[in-house]
Amino acid sequence: MRNDMNDLATNIRKVAFGLLSLLVVLLFYLTYIQVVQSDFLIAHPLNRRTLEASRMIPQGMILDKSGEKLAYSKKVGESFKREYPYGAIAAQVVGYDSITYGRSGVESTFSRDLTGNNTSIAHLGAVSHLLTNRSGNNVVLTLDATVQETAYRALGNHKGAIVAINPNTGAILAMVSKPSFDPNEIDQQWKHISTDKSSPLLNRVTQGLYPPGSTLKVMIAEAARKEKVIDLKEKIYCEAALKIPPDYSLQESHLEAYGNINLEEALAVSSNVFFGTLSLKLGYKKMENIFERFGFKRSVGQELQEVASHLPDFSSLGDGDLAQTGIGQGSLLVTPLRMAMLASSFANEGKIMRPYLVDKITGLDGSLIKTFAPEEWLTPTTPQLADEINKMMVRVVRNGTGTAASLPGVLVAGKTGTAENSQGDSHAWFIGFAPADNPQVAIAVIVENAGFGGSIAAPMARQVFKAALQ
Amino acid sequence: MINTRQLERNLLVVAGIIMLNGILAVNLAHSVLNYQTLGAVTFIFAGFMAVNIVLCKIGHTGDPLFLPLASLLVGIGLIIILRLKPELFMLQVMWVGVGLSAFLISAILAKRLEQIAYFKYICGFIGVGLLLSAILFGVDIGGNKNWIIMGPVRFQPSEFAKIFIVLFLAAYLSERRELLTLATKHYGPFVLPHPRFIAPLIAVWGLGMLMFVLQRDMGAALLYFGLAIIMTYMVSGRSSYVIIGMISFLVGSVICYNLYSHIQLRVDIWLNPWSDPSGGAYQIVQSLFALGSGGIMGSGLTYGFPTMIPEVHTDFIFAAIGEEMGLIGAGAVILLYILMIYRAFRTSLLSLMPFSMMVAAGLAVSMALQTFLIIAGVIKFFPLTGITLPFISYGGSSIVSNFILLGMLFSISEVRGCDAK
Repeated sequence: MRNDMNDLATNIRKVAFGLLSLLVVLLFYLTYIQVVQSDFLIAHPLNRRTLEASRMIPQGMILDKSGEKLAYSKKVGESFKREYPYGAIAAQVVGYDSITYGRSGVESTFSRDLTGNNTSIAHLGAVSHLLTNRSGNNVVLTLDATVQETAYRALGNHKGAIVAINPNTGAILAMVSKPSFDPNEIDQQWKHISTDKSSPLLNRVTQGLYPPGSTLKVMIAEAARKEKVIDLKEKIYCEAALKIPPDYSLQESHLEAYGNINLEEALAVSSNVFFGTLSLKLGYKKMENIFERFGFKRSVGQELQEVASHLPDFSSLGDGDLAQTGIGQGSLLVTPLRMAMLASSFANEGKIMRPYLVDKITGLDGSLIKTFAPEEWLTPTTPQLADEINKMMVRVVRNGTGTAASLPGVLVAGKTGTAENSQGDSHAWFIGFAPADNPQVAIAVIVENAGFGGSIAAPMARQVFKAALQ
Repeated sequence: MINTRQLERNLLVVAGIIMLNGILAVNLAHSVLNYQTLGAVTFIFAGFMAVNIVLCKIGHTGDPLFLPLASLLVGIGLIIILRLKPELFMLQVMWVGVGLSAFLISAILAKRLEQIAYFKYICGFIGVGLLLSAILFGVDIGGNKNWIIMGPVRFQPSEFAKIFIVLFLAAYLSERRELLTLATKHYGPFVLPHPRFIAPLIAVWGLGMLMFVLQRDMGAALLYFGLAIIMTYMVSGRSSYVIIGMISFLVGSVICYNLYSHIQLRVDIWLNPWSDPSGGAYQIVQSLFALGSGGIMGSGLTYGFPTMIPEVHTDFIFAAIGEEMGLIGAGAVILLYILMIYRAFRTSLLSLMPFSMMVAAGLAVSMALQTFLIIAGVIKFFPLTGITLPFISYGGSSIVSNFILLGMLFSISEVRGCDAK
């Protein structure tokens, strides 16, 4: 009997050990969830907690470079609501903030600063409620509200995008995408806004992919000079079409024969035959190399949420497609931001600064919390070559296809484009910078399905230049 | 040497202060002092102290940890229910009051535990009857088809059935432990006693499967089935029972998985909740968000958003604790259960009679299984099962039955208390 009781006790002990171990395992797993997985779970887009928490306190403001309010919190009953004084004008950049539909733009990428959630005391749990000032920090953008508004008005009723950056710093001065939407109305209008076929939520500057058309020729011109396939005086005889064996023909847009012209003249009139010939001279390896040099294969960083450019597979390109790529057509697709950066490289002595949108984070009392310094991103070309291309681009505006962009008393440099695309009429392009002798602003304008860059996009660029240089 | 009742009283005061502090915190966070809730908490505290005094008067020497551990768990439950569903707070207070009376009664009645062994079949019938009543007349409330409604009274029979089933199994098995140990029949690699000796076990297994299939109550099925297997193992020491039991349950589960879409859904949700986070897996994903957002320190009482989880005050109350009290709070709850279950097993091992030994061990097993199944479900360690968290979840059946269970354990621990020497 005694022995028997001992057996029973031994078995019970085993079971007790097993079951208590199971509970200890739960304790470990709970620790894993609450410590290791915590950050992932907090940041998960479906977790509405931070969003809800941010409603309980006034979030920080989003300001333009001179302190103009682009977004602020207004008290409505117990909680706070976001107000956007500029409405549709800066909608894609500033973003929206909705309990139901989440956040976008700066509201999303800088939500931790705006809600003040990035402080280390947030990890103190209940104690943090005693220590925090219960409000978020302000985010000061590089954006200039006046330039932004001008660009928005300049686009008129067209679909398209305009981006203006300071070539010396990479600071984004204006970023307009049309059609737009009113972030004040996001909850009421969501169904309409989110299903609209013209995609008003899309920031076309960073997320719209377009064939760059003739604006790309400035890059081919630089490459031809760098690779020494042509010198400044050398002329090429341009007929109305370039015959590429076996059976391809690259045509001028008006079937105009330019005759014997040099590089500068060819850029001014935007000769397809001339740049098609240059592309063939460069060959696919060097062509691929140019895109590499100007950063088309690299991301500019997370902040702007830019989509990657679509480049052709160069090694398998036939001669016809290679010539097409050289005039910005074929399967090549890039964002307007990239074209503004390309223009800025010739404005900034061959250097591309990393584009950035947020200048600094400040506390409620205006105290500086964090600044974002300009950062050199790439040096695709030399100051001498940049200067050469700069001068050619001045000629484009002075007496080439881009005269509509000229401003009295200011030297403007530019390049127009008329990009054929599979979705209907050609897109009108303009890229450039001003003043050409002391560049302060570089720009890219695209107007979807609007026809000729010289007559549609260039006048818009002119208005933006004017506003930015004031 | 400190008197055990004095020790119990001191610990109850500590638990009472923690409970009062929590209730005050919830009150102050809403910037209003609700004297009703403070009065209710004082009432609960007084109730625990009264139980202590009565036990003292009638000279009990039971384990001094059971009551303070229960009062801490009950306190945490009350705090979180006041925070989540203030309208249910007073009802829960009432249930705790009823539970305390039930504790006293069962602690006193269980002194004659040995006599219950004579009525083992009656216990068995009551247990099976309760389970069958839920299967046959069960009403669906909040997705669980295990409620019985009789006029104004509604309760969950399976909460009470577990006590009777434990009593029955303990009596039946401790009587037949030689037969089960010295098995006579050989079936391939397995050695089993004559079928008629294990027939009741098969009946409990069948009942478990029936609940699984008809009631869709995976949690209760696992609980009863696990209870039967583990108790048989404790008596026989033969792992073949466990293996055969596991295999038969696995076979049953696989068949059910293939036959029933809701079981497939539960398992699929468990395996990959992120494939359908706003559909079927909504609850579990929200629960994980709550736990993750709570982190180590928690958001602080009333500063979290646990109400984003549907049914948070019953099935998912543990996630709410994890969000607002953090790993510190939720981990403490698990530790409290570990301590309580440890003391329950200790009670069993200190017991002198095989029957009371088995009863205590069986109650400990049922408490451990239930705690494991619900917490593991909420933190996605295991497929979700809809059973209550002992002493914490909202609900009369759960509170009262767990106090009865604890009263029995207390009484058994008294037979040879911790300071008996």
